[in-house]
Amino acid sequence: MYKKLIAALLKRGLQALIVALIVGLVSFAMMQALPGDAAFRIAAGRYGYDLMDAAAAEAVRQELGLDRHWSLQLFDWLKALAQFNLGESFIYRGSVSEKIAVQLGHTLTLSLSALFVSILIAFPIGIYTGLNPNGWADKFFLQLSIFVRAIPPFAVGLTLVLIFSVHLKLFPVAGFRSFHHLILPAFTLGIGMAAVSNRVIRDSVLEAMHSDWQLFSRIKGLPSGLTLRAHVLRNAALPSVTYIGVQMAYLIEGVVIIETLFAWPGIGHALIHAIFGRDIAMVQGTALTLGLIYVGLNLVIDFLCSFIDPRSAKS
Amino acid sequence: MFTKSLAALGMALAFSTIAFAHDSAHEEKTVKIAAPWEITSFDLAISGYVIQKLEIMENLVDADENGVLRPGLATDWAASEDAMTWRFTLRNNVTFHDGTAFNAGTALTALTRAWKQPGVLSKAPIKSITAEDNVIIFEMEKAFAALPALLAHATTIIPAAASFDEAGAPVAFVGTGPFKVSAYTPPQSIDLERYDNYWGKKAKIAKAGYLAAGRAETRALLAETGDANLVFTFDPAGFNGLQAVDSVETIAVPIPRVVTLKVNAGHAFFADPKARQALSLAINRQAIATSITRFPEAAASQLFPPALNSWHNTDLPKLEYDMEKAKMLLAELGWQKGEDGILVKNGERFAIQLRTFPDRPELPLIATVLQASWKEIGIELDVSVANYSQIPAGHQDGSLHVALYARNYGLTPDPIGTVLQDFAAGGGDWGAMGWENAQVAQALEEIAAKGDVEKRAKNIALVSSIIQEELPLIPITWYQHTASIDANLEDVIIDPLQRSYGLSTMRWKK
Amino acid sequence: MIFFASYSPLKLYRKIGLSRSIGLGLLSIIIISTVIGPDLVGHDPAKQDLLHARQMPNAVHLLGTDHLGRDMAARLLSGARLSLSLGILSLVTAAFLGISLGIIAAWFGTWTDRFLTSFADAILALPGLLLVLILMASAPGSWWLLYIGISLTLWVEFFRYTRQRSRIILAHPSVDASKNLGLSNYFILTRHIFPELRNGLFTISAFGIASAITAIAALGFVSVGIRPPMAEWGLMMTQLLPYWREAPFLILQPIICLVLTILSLHLSVGGFHKK
Repeated sequence: MYKKLIAALLKRGLQALIVALIVGLVSFAMMQALPGDAAFRIAAGRYGYDLMDAAAAEAVRQELGLDRHWSLQLFDWLKALAQFNLGESFIYRGSVSEKIAVQLGHTLTLSLSALFVSILIAFPIGIYTGLNPNGWADKFFLQLSIFVRAIPPFAVGLTLVLIFSVHLKLFPVAGFRSFHHLILPAFTLGIGMAAVSNRVIRDSVLEAMHSDWQLFSRIKGLPSGLTLRAHVLRNAALPSVTYIGVQMAYLIEGVVIIETLFAWPGIGHALIHAIFGRDIAMVQGTALTLGLIYVGLNLVIDFLCSFIDPRSAKS
Repeated sequence: MFTKSLAALGMALAFSTIAFAHDSAHEEKTVKIAAPWEITSFDLAISGYVIQKLEIMENLVDADENGVLRPGLATDWAASEDAMTWRFTLRNNVTFHDGTAFNAGTALTALTRAWKQPGVLSKAPIKSITAEDNVIIFEMEKAFAALPALLAHATTIIPAAASFDEAGAPVAFVGTGPFKVSAYTPPQSIDLERYDNYWGKKAKIAKAGYLAAGRAETRALLAETGDANLVFTFDPAGFNGLQAVDSVETIAVPIPRVVTLKVNAGHAFFADPKARQALSLAINRQAIATSITRFPEAAASQLFPPALNSWHNTDLPKLEYDMEKAKMLLAELGWQKGEDGILVKNGERFAIQLRTFPDRPELPLIATVLQASWKEIGIELDVSVANYSQIPAGHQDGSLHVALYARNYGLTPDPIGTVLQDFAAGGGDWGAMGWENAQVAQALEEIAAKGDVEKRAKNIALVSSIIQEELPLIPITWYQHTASIDANLEDVIIDPLQRSYGLSTMRWKK
Repeated sequence: MIFFASYSPLKLYRKIGLSRSIGLGLLSIIIISTVIGPDLVGHDPAKQDLLHARQMPNAVHLLGTDHLGRDMAARLLSGARLSLSLGILSLVTAAFLGISLGIIAAWFGTWTDRFLTSFADAILALPGLLLVLILMASAPGSWWLLYIGISLTLWVEFFRYTRQRSRIILAHPSVDASKNLGLSNYFILTRHIFPELRNGLFTISAFGIASAITAIAALGFVSVGIRPPMAEWGLMMTQLLPYWREAPFLILQPIICLVLTILSLHLSVGGFHKK
């Protein structure tokens, strides 16, 4: 058992290393391939439109050595990376890893809370509608899911703010310093995720209900309550967890909009600014961190899946 | 069962990462400010303007809300007879938030740093900066009257030595102002406490908090619910909505910022002033100001707004809106309507590109209006909404046709530095392009060099009338600075130069 | 579902049931009006009237006017072309890529699976947002780049879902039985894999179009992909957002259009996977 676990960890560790390299290289290549003069972009990001001009751009070019050959710039980054150093932000000067450390914490808090909210909403609805397909609840939640999914997340967020902040005065509009501030952004994200995942769970439950396993256990004479828990839910859980894993990967970047709307400091927000401002060090660092989180996430999902259904971990 | 463990994990994380913050009942309420600007870095060349507004750091020279200079960390200043040397006498008995003393040494270090970084000082004709006892001396390369105004700008605020590490990298915000930093979460928020050893009049409120909220919708809601007591910069719709909210007072102050078009006068299409006049005639400024920015009185009749009182020229004829005249002027230049309704001359279609950026949400809207309006006089406009650096970049490589942006002539209390950059010989990244006028250049040099009031007024009138005639920049609307104030706050001063949020003078109503 | 032309409405109704008829009816209305476009209401979607902006729906402007005084109905119709073509094309591309690669990975297992999975993981590990934003940064407002970017973010779901499900199905004794009986791979594909995958894939697909269009709205929210005077549902959602308190009927219109589209798709395919 332990051997297996260590082997799995090693495999993922190797994968993490490869992912880190690929992500770093690809994001570097893509940033280099963009048209336009990076020095101008970086100067714009630093000084704003009132103070940014060609002279400032020239100063930035000199300071960061942007006119050096791209291979030299890449080599510098790799060398620093080998020493676990993500370098300095082109726009904000300070260390990239420090910036990411601050922002990642906030993003993870928001993402995990949103995931928690979505699970809380999606599983009961999905299981109930899956067990009672084509009933009124099934139809109602289908329409509701479609409606919610077609509303862009910022409109969902604004609606929640209008109801819970403006009218009911229960939660603050924006900010991040307290638990109260977390509720509305987490629900905005969570509702959007649940709108799709409750349908996936419903379909999985429905299929598990009609599967041979279920029939078999009924024939075996197991009482239906036990059948439900032992077989149906277990079989339905696998695709559901897989799907939620996929959503989780989206979530980390999906928070961008929510972070902006609720003035929540986060990594998605930082990544966008870095791309706009051609902050190559910051883009590489952020992409790398998100890539590694993704690998970690896969590990958790693999583990959950093999725990639910050992057959899926045969390879 | 895995749902349970996930739930537990989620809960644990949510609770552990987030600290509970609440004001206890007997303590005075924190004044909460919301504005769009993020505080992204300790580097003052980048975030100095927010640090200045929050009164964490101060300048040698201060300015009141009318733009009149007054002593800051310097008690007085004077230029030599020929305006080649400036001497600033520093205030005694000033301490930084970390308890260290403010002296000529710290001031010199800060100013030298500001001079070497992009900012207003780097563009001034400074030869050297030195310190002598408690006096800072600027040697100029040529006569320069506007130096004190530059020393009131955000890029020349004075940080303590403790703001930097040994290598000289900025690591903290330590200043001399009436407020000190108690918490900072980049880029979103900064918390302030009153600095009790402040040299001047101490602040009346004990605590303040700043939140950067990027979306105008968010800020309007923060104001409406009272989650922020002082909110700056609204979108027109949000500002309108707040009028009906009793718990806040809204205020709009005209500021010296102008939405303007930069036209490449070096381009064959626009070389003749008539072409630029035609573009200008085909802009319905009144409709734009009424419907988009929603301050009808702010439709620009000339480049310099009334808020810039010494530069606004009441004698100038207003810029008109006249589509027929625009068509006529273009016809005089030899443009003829082609098959698709677009003008043609010598086989070339009048198809041009306009560059603008989304950071100010009204700019893409105005660009869309121009696109529709110019189409009627036969000009095909491709609107490119992207990063604003494409404007100076296009100025440098000559590829720019027209650009739409908002120019701030209130960067320093005296706008001469900015005007000089925009209209002196050779033009500027954010000013004239491919356009030169010897008379204007000469007049501007004189204004910059000498403080003679009468001569100055005459020169300014000359500059503004030539610019109005030749239209190297085509002004569209002037700006209003919008803010909302909690009805429970009093003595709030909204600074049109946007140098300060007025935190040190305001207080809670008893 | 395209072959309904040969049925009379009554027969059609009997054959496919109420909800599917509603779905198909709605879908045909949407498709027809999209094809006819802004001519249907006789307004130019780019024509402005600044002094009559944000009008309530009235006799001249059936759905009112937007923030620049442009006819909303005309803009929704011209936006439908862009939104639906973009949504459907990127969805089809993503579904094709994701499903076929997912089945290939599950079918061949071992090295193929390992290769495809790590390839997918490596691409997935690059934040999709980064890809789209960088693509868009290289040519703002380009339809093709938007299409590629959105397909790249959508295919993931199809791949992971298909791979995971197929592996379980292929491990089932009944598949072995079919193989032992000498039945063809095609049989296994159509009789074992597709029926099991169908429900989940339908759900993901119907929501996929919504994802594509709200993704464009999200890009607009961070000010990417704007190229006036282009009309597109997702962008309209962001552009009309500032007026959400003053004129809520404006931002609701593109949202309702999107809801109706997804609903009609869902209802149309819904009948097929009823048990």
